[in-house]
Formats: sequence, C-alpha cells, structure tokens
Amino acid sequence: MLTRAEGKHLGEAIKSNVRSHCVGTTAVVYASDYLNKLTGERIERECKKQLDSGARALVIDFSDTELVNSIGISILLGIIDIAEKSGALVVFSDVNDETVQLFEMLGLTRHVVLAKDEQEAISGLATPPTQSHIIGH
Amino acid sequence: MNQERSAPVRQILGRVKRDEYVGRDAESARLIKHALRSAQQPRGVAAQSGGGLLVLAAPLAGVSEFLRQGYDQLFSRREVAPIYFALPRTGVTAVSAAIEFLNTFLLQYLAYRRDEPALCNLSLTLDDLIQLAPAADLTWIEEVVESYKRHRFGNNDSDLVRFCLTAPDRVPAQHGCFVMFDAVYLSNFADTDVSLASEIIRALTASRFSFTLAGLRREVLAAVERTGANTDTLEILRFETLAEADARELTTSAARRFNVALNDETRDLLCQQLEGSPFLIVALLQAARDKSVSLDSYFSCERLYVDELMGGWLQRYFSALLEQAAPEPEVRAAVIRLLCEAVPEGSRTASFAAWRKRLRLAGPEVAVLLRTLHVQELVNCDGENVDVSGGSEVWKDYLRTRFRLDALREPRALVVADVMAAALKRAPQSVARRYRSAASPRLRELVGQFNSQRVPQALFDYASFSASFTGATDEEVQAGIEEGPELQLPQVFHVSAGVSLSAELQRFGEENSVVARAFEKAGYTDASEVAWLVARLDSKLAADGLLVREWCERLRRLAQQLGFLRTQFWLISNEGFDEDALHVLREFAAYGSSQQQLDLLSARLNERVTPEPSAGAAEEFELVLPMGSDNELLAATAVEQVARRFQFSPEAINQIKTAVVEACINASEHSLSPDRKIYQRFRVENDKLVITIASRGIVPANIQGPPAAGKGLEQERQRDQRRGWGLELIMTLMDEVEFERVDEGTSLRMTKYRRRRS
Repeated sequence: MLTRAEGKHLGEAIKSNVRSHCVGTTAVVYASDYLNKLTGERIERECKKQLDSGARALVIDFSDTELVNSIGISILLGIIDIAEKSGALVVFSDVNDETVQLFEMLGLTRHVVLAKDEQEAISGLATPPTQSHIIGH
Repeated sequence: MNQERSAPVRQILGRVKRDEYVGRDAESARLIKHALRSAQQPRGVAAQSGGGLLVLAAPLAGVSEFLRQGYDQLFSRREVAPIYFALPRTGVTAVSAAIEFLNTFLLQYLAYRRDEPALCNLSLTLDDLIQLAPAADLTWIEEVVESYKRHRFGNNDSDLVRFCLTAPDRVPAQHGCFVMFDAVYLSNFADTDVSLASEIIRALTASRFSFTLAGLRREVLAAVERTGANTDTLEILRFETLAEADARELTTSAARRFNVALNDETRDLLCQQLEGSPFLIVALLQAARDKSVSLDSYFSCERLYVDELMGGWLQRYFSALLEQAAPEPEVRAAVIRLLCEAVPEGSRTASFAAWRKRLRLAGPEVAVLLRTLHVQELVNCDGENVDVSGGSEVWKDYLRTRFRLDALREPRALVVADVMAAALKRAPQSVARRYRSAASPRLRELVGQFNSQRVPQALFDYASFSASFTGATDEEVQAGIEEGPELQLPQVFHVSAGVSLSAELQRFGEENSVVARAFEKAGYTDASEVAWLVARLDSKLAADGLLVREWCERLRRLAQQLGFLRTQFWLISNEGFDEDALHVLREFAAYGSSQQQLDLLSARLNERVTPEPSAGAAEEFELVLPMGSDNELLAATAVEQVARRFQFSPEAINQIKTAVVEACINASEHSLSPDRKIYQRFRVENDKLVITIASRGIVPANIQGPPAAGKGLEQERQRDQRRGWGLELIMTLMDEVEFERVDEGTSLRMTKYRRRRS
C-alpha cells in the first residue's frame, strides 16, 4: 500500500479549483453555483488544506450558490466535523433562504454559524456570538 | 449473416427471411469460406487436405436454421452446389435415413444445376430425378440410381447405407458439391443395427469434397472419436447460444414478424430467462402469436411461460426429450425423481451405481439413458458419476413441475400458481443479474487479464487513492495515478467464479466473487504461487469495518477449505471503505478498491467498462436525460419553468427543484441502469404538479424502499450515515411521494399542491 506521504505527493498535482483567501487566521472558501459531490469534495479539500496551514476559523461563502444537493450537504457536515476536531469555528455566509431551509432540515444549522455575508462572518468571528448562532439572519 | 457478394439471397430452405435472420456473422463467414473450398481447390485435392468442418453446437442454439441459411446463401452464390440434409427427428431406421439422404442429395443437386430452387421442396421419385437431370449429369445419375436399386434389393443394410451416404462423391469433379449434414438428432439412431454415426463420418471424411457435419457438441465429438476419423484434417466451429446483443435483436425481430407486442423490458427478460437460445425465444414468441398474447409486461411474459411449461410447446419439447431417454413411463418417473431429488445443495452428484439401483435397470440400459441426457447437456455424466446440475433454467423449471405433478401428486392448480409466483419473483432478479454484469466489468474477465501487467498501485489501495484524488476529475486522476508506485499483477492461469467453489458465496451472486490461481513474478514455483480471492461488496455507502471483516473472514475460511497456502484478498466496494474498514483491510493485508478504481483498472487492462446502451433507447421521445454530468440541473431548470408557468410560489418552486435533483441523483446512484437514462414526466393537474422520475435498473439491497417511518434526519446523521438522505428529503419537500418498484426499475412519483394541503 502507498504511504500517506506518497498519497499526498500524488494529490499535490491536483488543483482544487476552489476560490479562497485568508483574513488573518480565518480562511474564506467560496462555494460554487451548485454544491454537489464533486464541488463539495473540492471545498472539503480546500478547507482541510487551510486548517493544515493553521487556519483557526472557516468561512464558507455561498453567495454564488443557487442549488445544493444532499450529497453536498453531507460533505459540509464532514467539514464541520473536521473543523471541530481542529478546534476551528465554521461560519456559512450569504446562504439563500431556500438553502437555509435545507440546512435546517438536515440539522446543519445546529453545528454552524450563519452570517449575512462574508464581511459579517469575519467580523462576527472577531467577536464570537453569545446567544445566537445566527448572525444577521 | 453478412454476405460477401451482393447477389440477392433467395429464401429456399431458410425458415426465416434473410433480412430477419440475426447474428452469426462470424460463423456464417467460416461456413461459406469452407464451402467454397470445394469450388476453388483443384479437384481431388480436397480429400487429401481434409475438408471437414465440425459444427459443435450447444443444445437449442439454432444450428439447423444456421445451416439452412447457409444453404440459401451458397445456392445464390452459384459457386458450388450446396446439399443440406437433416436427420429426421422422429425415429426411423438407419436405412431409411440413408435413402432419404440419397433422395435429398439428388434433388438438391439438380435444383442447383437447373437453378430451380423450387425443386428442393418437391417430393420426386428417383425416376423423376433422372428425367430432370441435365445432359452433363445424366450418365452418373443414371448409374447412381441403377446401383441404388441393386443395393436396395440386396441383403446387406450396411452396404446400402454406405452407398447412399457416399453418393455425393460421384458428382463430377468439375461441378463439385458441399454437403451440410445436420446431425442434431443423431442420438435417435444410437440403437440402430447399422451404426449410422460411424457411416456418416466415414463417408464424409473420405469424400473428395469439403463438408460440414453439425450436431450437438457432446455427441458429434464423441462420434468422431469413436469412428477413429483423422481429426487433424477437421476444423471445428463452436456454435453457442446467441450473445446478448444478438439475442435482443432476434427477440425484437421475431416479435415483429409474429406481430407480438413487446417492450424493452420484456425483451431483456426473455433474452435473459431463455438464456439466449434462439430456439426457445422463437418458440415462446410463436406461442404468443398463436394465443394472441401481448408480451408487454413481466406478468404477461411469465404467464405465457408457465402456460407453455405446463402444457404447451415447452412441455412437449422437454417431454419428448425425456421420452427419448426413458420410453417406459415408470422409468421416466424414476428419472424425474432422481433428477429432482438430487437438486439440493451438496447432493448434485450421484454415482452410476446409485442410478442403476434406483432405476432397477441393467447397466447398459442406464448407460444409454444417461448418454441421451448427457448429450442434451441435461446432466453431466463421466461414466462413474452423474452430476444433475446441468441444463437450462427452463429445463429445471420443467423438471420441478413434473416432479410435483407426477411424483408428489400435488394438485395442478397449486403447482401452476406456485410456478407462476416463482417465475414472477425471479423475473426482476434474472434481469438484475444481467444489469449487474453489464453495468460493471466482469470480475472474472478482469482478473483473467492481469497477465503480469504493471498498474498503478493506487488502484488497489483505497486509502491512498481517496487521500489523493477525492474531488479530482477523471482526467486529473488519470494523470495523478501515473506518478505513484506500480504494482505488478500476477500471471493468472485459472479463474473461477467463487460460487463454483463455495456454496456460501452463492447468495451473493455468481458475478460477485472470483478465485484466481496465479504465479507472482517470474518462475513457476511453490513460493510464487498465490490465490487471489476477490469479492464485490453490494453496498451503496462506503463499506464499514463490520462488513469488510465478515468478507475477509469468509475469504479466509474459503482459502483454508481449498488448501491455499498463499492468498491475496481484494475487496471492491462501490463507494470505497470507511476508516474502520481500512484498518481491517490492513489487518488482512487485503487490497481494497472503489468502483472508480475498478473502472480505471479495467480501462487499463482493456476491459469493457462502459455499460452497453440498450438498442433503440436513444430514439425515445420523452424528457429523457442521460445520467451523470450534473444533468439533474437540466431537470431542475425544466421543472422550474413548468412550475413557474402554473404560478407556484418561489419557495415551492425551489422545493420542487431540490426534490427533482434528489430524485435524479437517486436514480443515477441507486440503479444499475442498462441505458443510463432518467425518464421524467411533469404533469400539471388542477391544483397540483405531479412529477414522475423513473429509471430502468435495479436497487441495491440496502435501499430497497423508503426509510422506516419515524426515523429522523438528525438520527441518520448521528448514525454517521451521511448519504442516502435523498428520499427522505424528497418526502419532506413534496406533499405526496410514492416510491414504486416497476417491472424493471424504479419510479418515483412526487406531487406538489399549489396550495399546500393542511
């Protein structure tokens, strides 16, 4: 079997194709217009990379996202788990109402903070919420 | 059949029109090529070079029609005179069969020489034939007839048979002829005073002209060996039942010919259930025509099948076979009992002595009986032991009904109902087997192609593969795996289905486990010998530790039973393996691959991985989307337009879109679909939108229906089963949801009311 290092080496050749940037120790990762298995896995990979690089919080921005499917959501749950294990906070920003409804149905909103937009998410992370998980919603 | 020359082929002996005859292109080409030796070789050379083509046919493979089609083709080519003779099905003596051969030979020869195909179907006396003979042939034909009359009234039957069978050799060398001897019913002549089989083989192999001898493979080969003919000069053509694509084409073509309604689903069912036998397929369609039955549902197919099995054509056919083997009713009943009672697991083989004892017959009589069954491949008999596991499923169905009716004396109505129920239950399973096999590479073939090839090691290591390539496109994976270390596959010298070695594996399906015997690296030594035990796990989700441990233990038991010293386990799970499972794989030093890895490996080993699209599916005119490529978005867009037109609220529209997306994903992920298409119908009624999403294929065992009532989404999440939410999500988003198993696939019917009901 391959060692983990060898596996990692192979993976380096692959670009995640996910837009992201860092604000201090917060990584902002942008979801695409359709969140499905492939795009979800790309976000997951990018988030892992950011956490490995020392990010203490993740903002996943859904401003471009029009549609989300259940596989995409299951991957988001995986990201939340990974972040929890790393002690990092996760904020979802700019999620449209229909997607929020889906997240609620599938229990995501219990484990994640929602913010109106990226700006609010970043500023909210600077002063963590005390009473509500939802910022601006 | 293809025809190399463009001359139109006249339908003379063929019972199926030329353009309706399906498949057999390669076999036909060989037959024609062989026949033309008689026309192209210098005369007299054929006998020395050997011109025999043995057509070894599987039972019910349709070899007689194949030869008749060959006859029509050769007749139309005008290069050599074709002669087709079939031994009669009903019992006659060797002498009368030989005389009939002589008559047929002369008649067909003259039909060819005069280019009057209609003569072939006439019944003429020998004197009539002399009258028809062209001047160039008159002398030798007169001589043949004169000699025949002398032999006919002599006292030596063997001489007469030999004379008749060797008559084609009297054709002048410049004309030549090509005899196609159809000996499918050769076993009818096993007990005649003159050994007809030996006389036929001697006559043909001694001929100056090339010939074809066709018959049941077990019988023809044995007869040739018994005769002591020089097999070095004989070519062999193996004639099997139809390949899947040809069987489908034949079924469609025959249904059209008999004006029987059929659809893609029932066509596939018939092909699968009748095991590609042209004989059985055509017979069942003929029965449908005779009874004016449409075959457009599994139900109608199985009802006709059971009718035919209980008292129709199938029953008559198999009864005739049994009667031939055991003419005495008491013996026949005992045979049925023996064949049926031995069917349970572990008791498929009985000794010859046991058969003799049970039948209360002398050894030679039992030998004849078993030989008849063996030739028809209904049992496998090596002289010492009798294995009754052979025969088609149709034969086994027939046996079971006979056993229950004749031996157990069960009421006919009960047997009919039970057989019908069993057939209906089996129908989707039968088609499912085919889909499983078509939707993924055949393990046996795949492993058989290892052949010491070097492949990326990542293809057998799910842990590293998923770590490296999760979220990568196929192109990226293709490029990435080349960078890693390689694994040299062993040289596999024997592959068998796991079920053939272990009864325990039978419940997992014939195609889902493989045992391969191989040598690693160079050298055939004990140290390099290894057995690969391969299993495909049927799971939608990533396989967990428990499942993988069960399989590893199962394979280890099997390896111990079979006495394998060195083994390599390889498990394949569609969605890969979870962390626990990976630990278990490491514990057993087993390889693990996902379907994606398997597909990549298969592509590298030049295996077929793309499911064969069903014929004609692309012509359907519905809202049909190919599975994959995010095509569910197209469906979502379409349904959005429909819903908007009927003034659904934006919130409702979004819920509908999400439900449609989930339904499409479900259809793609949960079915081994033969056509890889999703069929959608959007219907607007007064106050509601009804959406039907259907796909052909099968549903894996672990998602056979909607989730159990009361099981919340959150609970599912807690179980860490983060896939398979689709159906429950749909039920939450839509007002009514109906999940339906149809004949061959699934259909999801979802309704959304414009104003949600309270």
